[in-house]
Amino acid sequence: MKATEALICLKFLAAVYAASDAPRPRGVGPEYGSDEPGTSACAHLSSYSPQTPDAANATLALPGFYCKNKGHVPSYVPFTNVNDGVCDYESCCDGSEEWDGVGGIKCEDRCKEIGKEWRKQDEVRQRSQTNAAKKRKELVAEASKIKIGIQDRLQSLTTEIEGSELKVKQLETELADVERREKGKVVKPAGGKGGKMGVLIGLARDRTEELREHLVRVRDERDSSRSRLQELESVLSTFKEEYNPNFNDEGVKRAVRAWEDYEAVARDKGSEPKAALDRDLEELTKTDKENGLDWDEYEAEEETDTDVLYAFENYLPPSLRGWLDHKLRDLRLMLIEGGILAASTDSGAESKHVTEARKRLKTAEKELDGHHKDLKKHNEDLADDFGPDDVFRALKGTCVSTDSGEYTYELCFLERTTQKPKKGGGHTNMGNFVRMERMTVDEDLPPNGKGLGSGERIVMKHENGQHCWNGPNRQTTVILGCAEENEIWKIMEEEKCIYRMEVGSPAVCEGVNGGGGKGAGGKDEL
Amino acid sequence: MYYVNGSSRGWTSLLTLFCILCLLITPAVSVKRENFKTCDQSGFCKRNRAYADTALSNSRWQAPYALDPSTVKFDKGVLTGTVLKKIINTNDNLRLPMRITFHESGTARVTIDEERRQKGDIELRHGSKARKERYNEAEKWAIVGGTTVSAGAALNSDAEKGTTRIMYGPRSRFEAVIRHEPFGVEFKREGETQIQFNDRGLMNVEHWRAKVDKPADEQKEGDEAVVAESDKEAAEDESTWWDEKFGGNTDSKPKGPEAVALDINFPGYQHVYGAAEHTGPLSLKETRGGDDKYTDPYRLYNSDVFEYEMDSPMTLYGSIPFMQAQKKDSNVGVFWLNAAETWIDVTKSTTSANPLSLGIGSEVTTQTHWISEAGLLDVFVFLGPTPQDVIGAYGELTGYSQLPQQFSIAYHQCRWNYVTDEDVKDVDRKFDKHRIPYDVIWLDIEYTDGKKYFTWDPMTFGDPLGMQKQLDDHERKLVAIIDPHIKNEGGYHVVDELKSKDLAIKNKDGNIYEGWCWPGSSHWVDCFSPKARDWWKGLFRYDKFKGTGKNSFIWNDMNEPSVFNGPETTSPKDNLHYGDWEHRDLHNINGMTFVNATYEALLSRDKDEDKHPVRPFVLTRSFYSGSQRLGAMWTGDNQAAWPHLEASIPMILSMGISGYPFAGADVGGFFGNPSKELLARWYQAGAFYPFMRGHAHIDTRRREPYLAGEPYTQIIAQAIRLRYSLLPAWYTAFHEASTTGAPIVRPNYYVHPGDEKGFGIDDQFYLGSYGLLAKPVTREGQEGQDMYLADGEKYYDYFDYWMYEGPTTVTVAAPLDTIPFLMRGGHIIPRRDRPRRSSGLMKFDPLTLVVVIGNSGDAEGTLYLDDGESFDYKEGAYVHRRFHYQGATSTLTSEDVAASPGKKTKEYLKQMEKVRVQKVIVVGAPQTWAGKHEVEISEEGGKSSSGTKKVPLEFHGREGGKAAWAVVRDPGVQIGSGWKIAF
Repeated sequence: MKATEALICLKFLAAVYAASDAPRPRGVGPEYGSDEPGTSACAHLSSYSPQTPDAANATLALPGFYCKNKGHVPSYVPFTNVNDGVCDYESCCDGSEEWDGVGGIKCEDRCKEIGKEWRKQDEVRQRSQTNAAKKRKELVAEASKIKIGIQDRLQSLTTEIEGSELKVKQLETELADVERREKGKVVKPAGGKGGKMGVLIGLARDRTEELREHLVRVRDERDSSRSRLQELESVLSTFKEEYNPNFNDEGVKRAVRAWEDYEAVARDKGSEPKAALDRDLEELTKTDKENGLDWDEYEAEEETDTDVLYAFENYLPPSLRGWLDHKLRDLRLMLIEGGILAASTDSGAESKHVTEARKRLKTAEKELDGHHKDLKKHNEDLADDFGPDDVFRALKGTCVSTDSGEYTYELCFLERTTQKPKKGGGHTNMGNFVRMERMTVDEDLPPNGKGLGSGERIVMKHENGQHCWNGPNRQTTVILGCAEENEIWKIMEEEKCIYRMEVGSPAVCEGVNGGGGKGAGGKDEL
Repeated sequence: MYYVNGSSRGWTSLLTLFCILCLLITPAVSVKRENFKTCDQSGFCKRNRAYADTALSNSRWQAPYALDPSTVKFDKGVLTGTVLKKIINTNDNLRLPMRITFHESGTARVTIDEERRQKGDIELRHGSKARKERYNEAEKWAIVGGTTVSAGAALNSDAEKGTTRIMYGPRSRFEAVIRHEPFGVEFKREGETQIQFNDRGLMNVEHWRAKVDKPADEQKEGDEAVVAESDKEAAEDESTWWDEKFGGNTDSKPKGPEAVALDINFPGYQHVYGAAEHTGPLSLKETRGGDDKYTDPYRLYNSDVFEYEMDSPMTLYGSIPFMQAQKKDSNVGVFWLNAAETWIDVTKSTTSANPLSLGIGSEVTTQTHWISEAGLLDVFVFLGPTPQDVIGAYGELTGYSQLPQQFSIAYHQCRWNYVTDEDVKDVDRKFDKHRIPYDVIWLDIEYTDGKKYFTWDPMTFGDPLGMQKQLDDHERKLVAIIDPHIKNEGGYHVVDELKSKDLAIKNKDGNIYEGWCWPGSSHWVDCFSPKARDWWKGLFRYDKFKGTGKNSFIWNDMNEPSVFNGPETTSPKDNLHYGDWEHRDLHNINGMTFVNATYEALLSRDKDEDKHPVRPFVLTRSFYSGSQRLGAMWTGDNQAAWPHLEASIPMILSMGISGYPFAGADVGGFFGNPSKELLARWYQAGAFYPFMRGHAHIDTRRREPYLAGEPYTQIIAQAIRLRYSLLPAWYTAFHEASTTGAPIVRPNYYVHPGDEKGFGIDDQFYLGSYGLLAKPVTREGQEGQDMYLADGEKYYDYFDYWMYEGPTTVTVAAPLDTIPFLMRGGHIIPRRDRPRRSSGLMKFDPLTLVVVIGNSGDAEGTLYLDDGESFDYKEGAYVHRRFHYQGATSTLTSEDVAASPGKKTKEYLKQMEKVRVQKVIVVGAPQTWAGKHEVEISEEGGKSSSGTKKVPLEFHGREGGKAAWAVVRDPGVQIGSGWKIAF
């Protein structure tokens, strides 16, 4: 319904345009005026203006007032800026948009000088962009070199893994053999009533007793500290709830902030005492006897059946004894392997041979594991997003920094962003790199070209930085624009603890070669 | 925002979890009630409420005040005499000099002092150096005119025995009847009683007494009249007479009890308004009697109330002790000129005229009880009969609101804080980029170097002048904050001078007072001192406050004063000011004296301005009667919550009818993050705040309009542009306010004082005299709005000309992108439709006139235009026109209503020569115009010899419920000259 009315103004404009062609200022190019051509009178034909029947929602045929800008680049000036008494040289260097001389304003034509300056800067920009493109090529080459290196490493890893696997297998067999042999041995390497074992047991007993006592003491200390901590925490949490933030005492505010950080960290780490662990501790601190460990029992060990059996051998002639011994051993092994008889290793002591064999196996396994991990890592690395042409592979870990206000800000590509107070003090993590995205930006490009301009840009998201008082964990969005050097252009705290970094890097000069952006030189005003 | 992160004891404590959930669900922000006194905790309030209870519950009650007839004298409009106060159990009478002054304007003033204090015949405790008199300088600050004593006021010899009668006011229609014993005054208009003083016998002037340190046996020394035995205890409770403790602070009260109180009745009046600033409804609620009523009186004690609550009589940042009562076709008012802590009880009683017909003919009387801690009993009485009569007379006394700089009524963008000069420039550019107009960007306290005012943080604001230059390129301004607390830090020139020149507020012992505020340890400039004001003025010179340019202006915050470690977050009451007045005597004026000093400072910041000052702009948080002369106020630290949006409207309406119309609330809400819907609705409402500023707390997310995203950005932009297109109407309304005291946004009762049904309405309002009726949506998810049309006039939707007709309630569709906004028939509205980057760039834009034809077929409206910044208007540099459309002749004329031309009239008109009417829209155009294709235009003194010309007319017939309308494009007539368009 409003749309039909909207046409009225446009229709009317067309009529006026036709009728009032003559008084139209010369050299201004085509324009649809309104009540007057070339003025802002119909600028209210915008969805941003109040919608009334006499000026309803409509789209203007032209994006603005056309400035010919002879000697420079033509452009459109928003209708809102026409005849408002201000010379908009940055978009209309010929001053033609102030043709009505409102309030006595006269905007002389400055296109000659502005154009000249612009061309000069444009040249610098072009040169810089050419260099940037070159640098990007280098980066891509380097990235690809790194990648090839990784691929090579992957290949050699595969071979190494095969070797290691073989070795592990061999060692496993070896260990099994040794164990088998050792299991059958009846004579144990050590032990015996009142012998070395007895001394060891005695020592061990004293030692555990000592440890137990200490454990009890430490636990008591811990309990008292914990209750004091709880008391303190409750004091602080009451303090935080009850303090008046309006009494803006910096000291108090700082303390509350620190408390909240502390609280957040404590929550993350789950500092709560675990009941199960406490129960374990409780068990541990009982006397050994209560725990079912009776040292005396070990010290006064009785002879077992097998011992009697071994003793029985002594009565046999040596040859028979040897044969019997062999047979018995086989039988025993059979029984053990058949799960009928317990192996003699339960005394806890293992033969030196077995230990060494096991050690060798462990080493080999570890090596194999390491290779697998490397393999996985490199494979993941290869699958990771390093941007177009893998270019950021070459920049990973490269850091750039800039000063802003009281801080130095640092970006380490694909790693993190950091805020460092100049006056000293702790660094603040502003987020760890999580992913790359793309974002459409629309910024004015400064004359030196160090800015984001308009269009789609690569964005690096950094999240989960240090927790923020009264806010989220710190995050940084790094938006990249093409530049000759890696540099931070601008850092802003957009919202509380949410930062935006505008960063220049040759890495994103993809397809930028002398005027990548539309409307050369950011003259695309609308 | 300051919700409690439950100390998660995890699964072990379900209770904790429950509490956390509760905290997440309910908005956990709320006022720290315990920081502020209830009446019961404020000794004098408690005493006087108890006194009232005694008086009202005892049928034998006799007020102990009597006017001694032998002392009564009437001379040249002034009645004087002595009121005697009987002291209980003694034969002593205390002498209270009384004075009733009748002013030419029809205002009467009753003043009662205490002789012993007046003469200094008392002793102060604790060796205090404070002044002994009751504070008698409030008028020096509040009153600027309207006090010419009436020559026509006369004694009426027909007075009944025991009374004195004075006839006064216009055509002697007013009458004051003074009853001698007990003392009381009745004010009548045309024989009918409108206002009664001490009718209920609650008047109380606490006289000076020495403290008697008595042993256990209680000496009956109380003063409060003849009461039944059982009530004596209450009347003689001395527990609050001397030192009073609150929140760890002790008030030494060297003058002892010294309250003044009076009951004021408005017989027949059901509604009272005013007593700003509070968060409740415009029509004041009862404060005693249970149910839906408040339990505490309305309190006036300027305070920095953190996270204030809704619908509460609690005090806020400013005080205007001016109250109006409204009944059908009659409005009267009182102004309680007292700067001390004040409480007002409001109750209503119904009396049936005919006991047999309940409800019918029953009459409601609103009873008020005013209680101040110290000072004079000093009351002005206004007898109306229209709301404008009362508000106008109050304005004549306390001054009309400033005619502000044009930019200051446009849109302001604020945030605590724009953190660097680059940040400011970036926001500035982004507004342009998104084609959203704004005029002013603000800097909160973080711009300073360590909270030292008059300095810039060199790390973040290295180039303040460069920043202001960029703003100035598009006629934009900067407002920077300057507060009254001065950081107590060595080597800071401001504090050094403050100390060495001895210009600070002192403690009770006469030493410089030290308290805490933003910078930590601070001192407070005492702007009651003329020397301090002179010094303060000097600090703002461009060469002294380096880094400020001509487009910089000032924001005065924390001027209650806010003292973080003080009692009730403000100055101790026994602190001493210039002239040795105790802070208790003048507390509510303190904020105004500070703004006054800043205002004076901004008048002359260099030699050029010494000769040609521009209008200052100062925003204040604290205020008193009279502050309207000095700049804008805002409602302080509100919250990004729907109830705060809703409350902002009655609060601003209340300011408007309290003579301080240049008022606004923080758009978007200060604390917390608004949802996008809330933000959009808040801009739609904010477009109708006389002072329109978006503001946000430092802990909130950024919320500049362009960040909202579509469709929200578009909705917000439309609201802001609506404000800009109506700026000519707004500016004219401001001009009217500055000459008559009229509110800028007006409640229903003000516009329709005969319509009783509308007296309680405070969620819709009219803009200026333009019949523009708005009712912004203030509830979440609401898509339609019921609007009350008080009269039998036609109303048209502002946006699509849909027709309504009153008197009735209509439902107006209000999807998120629509503001319920109507045009009442019979008005002509001036607009400037070209969107610009700032209002300064609209100066020479043409105007659109919207003629809204009502039932009579006629319409009229005015337009006031000037340069929007200088004082040249005082020398005639302005355009003031009245547009009149006559249905009978179908002609629209422009007529000059300017006062006689001044020195600069011609020059200004020449400047405005090219500014013309670009469009005339006639809404509700007669159907007979269907065949009409052109109109005839004649202009006075037109250069064109022909005299008249013809311009096309475009007619659009009625369409469904939408009115017919017509438009004349480019009639080419000058805005500053007389012309006629014949349709």
